[in-house]
Amino acid sequence: MVLLNNEELTLLTSRARNGSFTVTFKRYDGRDKPTPREGKPPLPISEYRCLIRAQSKSKKLSTVVNQNEILKFMEAYGKVMKTSMDGLKKVKKPKTKSKVAHG
Amino acid sequence: MVFLKDWEDFEMAAESMYLKNSSNCRYSMKYIHSKGQLLLKLTDNVKCIQYKTEIMPDLKKIEKFTGNLAAHMASNE
Repeated sequence: MVLLNNEELTLLTSRARNGSFTVTFKRYDGRDKPTPREGKPPLPISEYRCLIRAQSKSKKLSTVVNQNEILKFMEAYGKVMKTSMDGLKKVKKPKTKSKVAHG
Repeated sequence: MVFLKDWEDFEMAAESMYLKNSSNCRYSMKYIHSKGQLLLKLTDNVKCIQYKTEIMPDLKKIEKFTGNLAAHMASNE
């Protein structure tokens, strides 16, 4: 598992043209040590962040997004979703259809 | 492992499940290009709910929901 820049995570999805890819979101509290035993001082609580993992075939990426970057990241991720998930069926709105028929 | 048929049902169930146990919940989406499918899954290792879609208009709702969820994961609540 490689920790990458927030922007670089988006690269993987564009590579998965004819396969599939998975993206997982999870809350991450910044803890990288086991919780101390009783009697020991507890670990300092850091702020919550969002851990995002992406996988396509054997290629894996992961990133941690901070609180002040999450909105920017999700905006970028939304764009990636739109461009990469283009195999879904398009549903025509009946309104536009009737307009074309009239014109 | 339940597939919910309605998006509203999934959204509500997902929200309540996440709020109940936010540190153990993980949310994943799998896009399968050859089948033209997008699968959503939310689990806390006890319960698991899923949603499956094949149509483009759902993407907008999913994008909004995912953004909200991620923003909540990276907040101090």
